[in-house]
Amino acid sequence: MKKKTRSQASRAKAMSNIPVRVMMLMFFIAFFLIALKKQINAQEAYDALKAAGDPSAVKPALDLFSFALCLIVPIMIFIGTVVLGKLLPTDPVLLSLTNFLCALGVFVLYSTAPDKGLRQCMYYGIGIGVMALCIYLVRIVKHWRTLSFIVFPIALLLLATPLVLGTEQNGAKNWIYIGGTSLQPSELVKIPLLILLAYYMSRRKFFSWMLFCLIALAVLMLQKDLGTALLYYITALLLYYASTGNLPVSLVGLGGGAGAAYLGYTMFAHVKKRVALWLNPWSDYDAGYQIIHSLVAIASGGLFGMGVGLGSPKSIPIYYTDFIFAVICEQFGMLFGFGVILVYVFIMLRGVSAAMDARNQFDSLLAMGATIILSVQAFIIIGGVIKLIPLTGVTMPFVSYGGTSMLASMGIMGLLQGVASKNKDALIREESYVSSAGEVSL
Amino acid sequence: MKQYRFFMRILACLMLVMFSALAIYSGYSINTYGSRWFAYSHNPRVKSQKSKVVEGSVFDASGVKLAWTDENGKRQYQQDLSSRKAVVHLLGEETGMVANGVESFMSNYLLGFDTTFWERVQNLFSGDQSKGDDVTLTVDSKLCTAIQSYFPQGKNGAVVVMNYKTGAVAALSSFPNFDPMNITESDKTSVDAPLYNRVTKGLYPPGSTFKIITGAAALRYLPGVQTETFNCTGEFHINRTTVTDASNEKHGAITMGYAFAVSCNNTFAYLAERLGFPAMGKTAEGFGFNDTFLFRDLVVSDGSYPVNGDADELAWSGVGQGRVLTTPLHMCMVAASVANGGVMMEPRILRGVSSPAGVQRLSYEQQAYKTVMTESEASILARYMRQTVTSGSGRNAAVSGLTVCGKTGTAQYDDVHKKEHAWFVGYIDSDDYPYAIAVIVEDSTAGGSTVAAPIANKVFTYIKNNFPKAE
Repeated sequence: MKKKTRSQASRAKAMSNIPVRVMMLMFFIAFFLIALKKQINAQEAYDALKAAGDPSAVKPALDLFSFALCLIVPIMIFIGTVVLGKLLPTDPVLLSLTNFLCALGVFVLYSTAPDKGLRQCMYYGIGIGVMALCIYLVRIVKHWRTLSFIVFPIALLLLATPLVLGTEQNGAKNWIYIGGTSLQPSELVKIPLLILLAYYMSRRKFFSWMLFCLIALAVLMLQKDLGTALLYYITALLLYYASTGNLPVSLVGLGGGAGAAYLGYTMFAHVKKRVALWLNPWSDYDAGYQIIHSLVAIASGGLFGMGVGLGSPKSIPIYYTDFIFAVICEQFGMLFGFGVILVYVFIMLRGVSAAMDARNQFDSLLAMGATIILSVQAFIIIGGVIKLIPLTGVTMPFVSYGGTSMLASMGIMGLLQGVASKNKDALIREESYVSSAGEVSL
Repeated sequence: MKQYRFFMRILACLMLVMFSALAIYSGYSINTYGSRWFAYSHNPRVKSQKSKVVEGSVFDASGVKLAWTDENGKRQYQQDLSSRKAVVHLLGEETGMVANGVESFMSNYLLGFDTTFWERVQNLFSGDQSKGDDVTLTVDSKLCTAIQSYFPQGKNGAVVVMNYKTGAVAALSSFPNFDPMNITESDKTSVDAPLYNRVTKGLYPPGSTFKIITGAAALRYLPGVQTETFNCTGEFHINRTTVTDASNEKHGAITMGYAFAVSCNNTFAYLAERLGFPAMGKTAEGFGFNDTFLFRDLVVSDGSYPVNGDADELAWSGVGQGRVLTTPLHMCMVAASVANGGVMMEPRILRGVSSPAGVQRLSYEQQAYKTVMTESEASILARYMRQTVTSGSGRNAAVSGLTVCGKTGTAQYDDVHKKEHAWFVGYIDSDDYPYAIAVIVEDSTAGGSTVAAPIANKVFTYIKNNFPKAE
């Protein structure tokens, strides 16, 4: 009897690995084709030069690195799903979905801007490590109270650094440069934000989390980083609702947020301009070209896309971060774009179910917060790119180019996975308790 | 956690709604505006495709080649200067300076963006340079050339002819026009705006041609209005202004039908006052005013009718003045809807698309835009429009052997200098030649009956002598 269940379990495990294998194969083929295309293009350029009698023509060497990449990315998917799943008990569905988005980001970036793709591949690798670290953290930390005392000031200090050291980009001053690498603290602070919100809300410390949020929002407003401010705000508000179910207060909070948004609209010229461009980007090509090129790209892709490497993804401004969804739609088509939205939907549903299964209030709110922040961020940026809402500069979780963004998203996913992993442990414990109890009664 | 579960479910639903909104909105907007966004003049994909693909040719309804790419990859238009000028606004030109001409708006066909995956694979193996699709239009280019000769020299304006049963546009001419193979600096900067397609983009006060709509509203909302007698004193005083008739005529006791035929402003301003903005606005919107036109083949500026205002504005709106504005194409559709028993057809210029291998990819498919009035309302208005041509202000449009119906208009657009546009909208009441027309001559020396109606007369005569009878 026991033997049969074991074989069933192992078969179930093998079954769950099939999507991962399909995914690995898919990305292997995709990267292989891109490498092949690159090689053919180089060869053709060489032939053309030779035919023209140019003596400076150099026969292109086999670009081994491009071909190596078609193994590296599938291996990273393997590490991010199967290996990580073996080391720590995790939710395999969430792992697969996360790795799919990361690999998709690497692929889209590599096919449009190879150097960015390679760096993103590196960030993806580090991201897997950060995710593992965060899972481990959630599993071992017992004294969240002590941690919160340490994290509170450090997070705020980190958030405020760009005010002193930062440089302005796209109207917002939210970057710092340390030793040649750039860093966006407001991305990294999302992780302490979630921990603090979950801790204080589970302990009903209303004023503590309120204080943290108010300071954080004020700092973000000073940096004119309104997209992130909006994200922090909505996350705190929704999590407050989840922890109390207090609809009137939540609605008051929503009204306050709307008031603040209106205040921001009247105070900041660049916000006013963005709203006007959202309402009618076509009125002014010079100012509205960002959203115009995004929409033109999506329309050009049609249902099935123009094909990878075809079209003009680089005509889309900031195609590698904010507008990467427009690139995906142009290259793969609207239907694939729907698929990507669906991946976020599945992540959200798995996240909410992990939050509902959690064994204590803190874990539950931590998982819910992580789910909310990832979902809302995906909504804000995709909605901006398709002109459903005004565009605010946040990244597309797991897909957009950028080290900080990748680490933050993977860290948040780590928090969520950590809770899922504790749920799994608890489930096994409960089952063994039930079965041992059963034996006793027999 | 159990105590949170209910709220978390609600949040999950909320986020589900948010994600659904993303999918629904993007699907909706691409479905509705996608072809317009794609044809945007700054789309770099179109330009880069031109270097890879031999652009398809454009033919008119009778098979005349209007545009093609020669063996050197250069875009060519008809050899004869006046023929190529006559269709230039319809066709547009290579660089997209004429907004939404066929050359730019239909580039998805001409540049082969619609080729199937299988065709692409075949091209890959055969090594042929891939070719775009050929486009056939509904327009008769010879009629366009003829219209060019009928239109008063040196005047600006527009003429559009469409089949009122199918919506197929037979001629589309905007003046002044220009040579697409030799665009001069003055073409780009002239105050007469030769690059501007007045048929689809020019917004004009419709003047008395709007009485078709005021008349429809009166028939619908004022029962027994046909048998009523009105008294035209030549001056209809409102609060601030006075509505007068052309050359200060006094018509005396007059019925609505006769008032329509002689274009009596007094009567129609009075009718508008009696109808009020709600009834007038509802009828005008029923005729497509204030709509967002999203036709498949044509990008047309939206007409506007004020939905509120004071008594003066109401009276003037009844005779198509004040804030009432629309395009010649829209007024042609209004006349066409009378001819077609109240059904307004979607105007189309695309007759067919065929692949380089000769496979028909798309063929003409007519569609009603909307039903704007009942059949009986349409037949009464048709009678009025017939009377206008037999014994009213539109006599100059009459063609012997054809039942021509129409409405003239003289729209003031500059009160100080008394500048006027001359209008004529009408149609041939015939199953053989089901064509409707709109003519506008800007800043004309005289009214619609002496300037615009004769142009319609010549166009209809041309159609009668040269067009095959419709099946």
